[in-house]
Amino acid sequence: MQAEKRETTMDRVSKGLARRYRRERWFRLFGLSAIVTSVCFIALLFVSIGANGWSAFQQTEVLLDIHFDKEQFDVDNLSTANYGALVKNSMQALFPDVTGRSDKRELNKLVSSGASYVLQKMVIKDTGIIGSTKKIWLPADDEVDMFLKGYISRDVAESARRLNDKQIGWIDQLVAEGRLEKKFNTIFFTAGDSREPELAGIRGAVAGSLFTLAVTLLLSFPIGVATAVYLEEFAPRNRWTDLVEVNINNLAAVPSIVFGLLGLAVFLNVFGMPRSAPLVGGLVLTLMTLPTIIIASRASLKSVPPSIREAALGVGASKMQAITHHILPLAMPGMMTGTIIGMAQALGETAPLLMIGMVAFIVDVPHGVTDPATVLPVQIYLWADSPERAFVERTSAAIMVLLGFLISMNAIAVFLRRKFERRW
Amino acid sequence: MESMSAVLTTGETPFLGAYSMTQEKVRQEDKAPRENRMTVGVPFVDDARMTCRGVNVYYGEKHAINNVSIDVGRNEVLAMIGPSGCGKSTFLRCLNRMNDTVEGCRVEGDIQLDELNIYDKSVDVVPLRAQVGMVFQKPNPFPKSIYDNVAYGPKIHGLASSRAELDEVVESSLKKAGLWSEVSDRLDQPGTGLSGGQQQRLCIARAIAVRPEVILMDEPCSALDPIATATVEDLISELQEQYTIVIVTHNMQQAARVSQRTAYFHLGDLIEVGSTDRIFTNPRHRLTEDYITGRFG
Amino acid sequence: MWKKGLTLATASIILASAAVNVYAASGRDYISIVGSSTVYPFATTVAEQFGKTSKFKTPKIESTGSGGGMKLFCAGSDIDTPDITNASRRIKFSEYEKCQKNGVNEIVEVKIGYDGIVLANSKAAPQMTLSKKDIFFALAKEVPDPQGGEKLIANPYTTWKEVNPSLPDTKIEVLGPPPTSGTRDAFVELAMEGGCSKVDWIKALKETDKKYYKSVCHTVREDGAYVEAGENDNLIVQKLEANPKALGIFGFSFLDQNGDKIQGSVVEGELPTFENIAAGKYPVSRPLYFYVKKSHVGVVPGMTEFLGEFINDKAWGEEGYLSDKGLIPMPAEERKQFAADVVALKPLVMSK
Repeated sequence: MQAEKRETTMDRVSKGLARRYRRERWFRLFGLSAIVTSVCFIALLFVSIGANGWSAFQQTEVLLDIHFDKEQFDVDNLSTANYGALVKNSMQALFPDVTGRSDKRELNKLVSSGASYVLQKMVIKDTGIIGSTKKIWLPADDEVDMFLKGYISRDVAESARRLNDKQIGWIDQLVAEGRLEKKFNTIFFTAGDSREPELAGIRGAVAGSLFTLAVTLLLSFPIGVATAVYLEEFAPRNRWTDLVEVNINNLAAVPSIVFGLLGLAVFLNVFGMPRSAPLVGGLVLTLMTLPTIIIASRASLKSVPPSIREAALGVGASKMQAITHHILPLAMPGMMTGTIIGMAQALGETAPLLMIGMVAFIVDVPHGVTDPATVLPVQIYLWADSPERAFVERTSAAIMVLLGFLISMNAIAVFLRRKFERRW
Repeated sequence: MESMSAVLTTGETPFLGAYSMTQEKVRQEDKAPRENRMTVGVPFVDDARMTCRGVNVYYGEKHAINNVSIDVGRNEVLAMIGPSGCGKSTFLRCLNRMNDTVEGCRVEGDIQLDELNIYDKSVDVVPLRAQVGMVFQKPNPFPKSIYDNVAYGPKIHGLASSRAELDEVVESSLKKAGLWSEVSDRLDQPGTGLSGGQQQRLCIARAIAVRPEVILMDEPCSALDPIATATVEDLISELQEQYTIVIVTHNMQQAARVSQRTAYFHLGDLIEVGSTDRIFTNPRHRLTEDYITGRFG
Repeated sequence: MWKKGLTLATASIILASAAVNVYAASGRDYISIVGSSTVYPFATTVAEQFGKTSKFKTPKIESTGSGGGMKLFCAGSDIDTPDITNASRRIKFSEYEKCQKNGVNEIVEVKIGYDGIVLANSKAAPQMTLSKKDIFFALAKEVPDPQGGEKLIANPYTTWKEVNPSLPDTKIEVLGPPPTSGTRDAFVELAMEGGCSKVDWIKALKETDKKYYKSVCHTVREDGAYVEAGENDNLIVQKLEANPKALGIFGFSFLDQNGDKIQGSVVEGELPTFENIAAGKYPVSRPLYFYVKKSHVGVVPGMTEFLGEFINDKAWGEEGYLSDKGLIPMPAEERKQFAADVVALKPLVMSK
């Protein structure tokens, strides 16, 4: 009797067992497929951006024999001399049989208008080259670049492409002579914005992003940590602190454009700070990232075991000593992680910057927090909206740079967490 | 006699009755009935280090400690026992104002350390906690080196003027805690890497490094295995020569082993106080008897 | 760590306020330009040329939209207000009044050229030949009842053929900019209103109930035939490539850059080509302007020189670099006229 009864219990258990395991398998399968799906999407994103953008890291350049004609230069006109003429002369020398005003114009269009600035810089740097003839690689026009990269097909009707048959003939000739080559695009990394795709670079945007983030970090980290410490350790639990807490959580969900409007109203209109400055951008992004940092910091303060607090108080540490000596160091990895996530968020933000004038065409690379500047995501947005086709690949390339920054910031967050994490 | 006058001024009349007067075995029918909530036995001593009179503790609306009066004698080990939730830990934490950190906790009554009311407005908790140290239920060393754990208290209180002096304090504290021989060669290792019993002794060393007068121990062995427990119990007996110790324990054998006096708490009331021998052999309150004979708790 | 952070924060606040003070004291050493996103590509090109060939800093140009630019421009004459605002339409009287009220008394108006708004589709589909009336009937929210009578009904047309039997039998699907865009404003005004006024009784409304007339002619249908594709014209071009049945509305420069993928539709018998727009033949084209705050000329360094760069034939002339960017130049006469106004800094006078 007894034995039989026990058997039925076991039977029941094993009957249910199969279902329990099946459920577990299903759950695991579900989790796995979720991960696979998201990885696929990320891979798709990376691949499509990469496929669009990798070609921007190369730029077509044309090798010209530039004769720095003495007649073109005076002592005073080094910056205003007619460098364009030097380029035109050397093109003319390469194609002596091109005559007629309009043909010459078409020919000269093959070289970027930025070529003359390259020469200008060379001469200002070293006046000794005046009078000599040098072989120089100069940027080609974006249309030529697009043609060589295969984005413009020679098969469509002449009227439908921006390079005519003659120009394509010249390009073929230059390629055959080895005077037209794709080279690593240094301009992309060293120049500011430009309306000419072949002269446009992201350095201005990167510098602007760095200045903006520096201001954001310097303000939001101490303020955020101080707020979290006060709320978590000192503030009494009452209706007011509840209200503050609810509002901080609400602020984290406020659309970022609202912070932009606030920045416009307060920093620009009341305090009269300059428009388009990383300083103001940093202030606005500080407002935006503060809730993130405060919430993360409070969570990591909460996760410090109360036994540590008691231990410190038990040996007679004051509250402040308990916090600064024991609780903060233990909460710091979590706080830093929260801060870096907040910074990464701030790095990708455009909407609030629109209001304070950082969505702007700025050529000069900023050198301080009050210089007009733009930031990486804004640069991407501006390029994405430009008609020139060569900006398409540059947009993707800029996205790659932005992603690079984001990934390295997150990697730093992981590294810091690993490094400073302590067990207790 | 001094302690008696204190009782009178606070309007406290402990229920001593006929039972406390005799040392003989009390007959069953003469024991205080279970409904009786006044303290039975001898809560007061002549040479008191700490005196508590009419202590009430509230957690918000909840009345956690009800009108408790008791003395802690000099260089004695006072054990506080009782079933879970009886308020013994709460009362212990009143003695160095650790309850201050608990939101909504209110303490009424008079607790004196060397004739100074520790709840007086003029008293600073920081030096108070240096005088009344505490060891907690779970070993809680700081996630720092063994040396830093012990040196932390002296450092913040400025008890050592030089590195050499600090080294000395650390060494003597660890020796007193019986840990020196085990850790002297790895003082820079993290304190969290020690075994449970060693960690608890490290916490005791940390507490005695600031030279307290009283050490409060809140179930110091509950997280330890029997061997580590025995080591810590031996340590308590040794420390008794220099310090006054109040220990809360769940373990009646432990109370019997380490303490001279025992106080029994029940649902926020102090039921009975007396010499440990007497409490365990001849309880005068039915609740105490129920507890020590294992009828509940 | 904690203390360090606090010190750093204090230091940065002090530094920041110092920087602002320096900024406020020294004024601005670059030109600040705001305004229309349509003029943006042209203004930026001139700014860049100017920055690279002169000793002055490159002007800063924000793309705020025509209306947004006017608002900033007319906010006052302080040094921290913009010096120039671009507009893809003429300044409105209300804006002019606001400027006057805020102490921006002297504004110089400069017309820089023309922009064509094109309707285009993929080269994979046949080219469309439309009249303004077709456009109105295909895209308005309410159209005159085809049964006759002076009555409006919700737009019933779903295919082009229903609108005009000579058009192909494809679904009406037009991708265009949202109402915040200047391109949309101009399209509605030039193409839709143009077609709307071909209906006699609606045209008569203009005299009697102008408000109602405008709402009839300017309201675009919202039943899915007109898709708001955002401000990004590149996106519209990409969508057209993917969907040969759809038509897109955008500025001429995008057609100019993507001539291998898309083709402009014939409107009122004219193709949207550079020559046709320049000659004023293509009907859906609009002038582009910028406005200069006279009080800032001579205060902000480089203002005169920048204006000089803009009104140079090298920039806005027939062969100028702006025409490479898709700007349709004004006739020589008109250019001369505006250039003279700019040189003389002749203030704009408007009356209601």
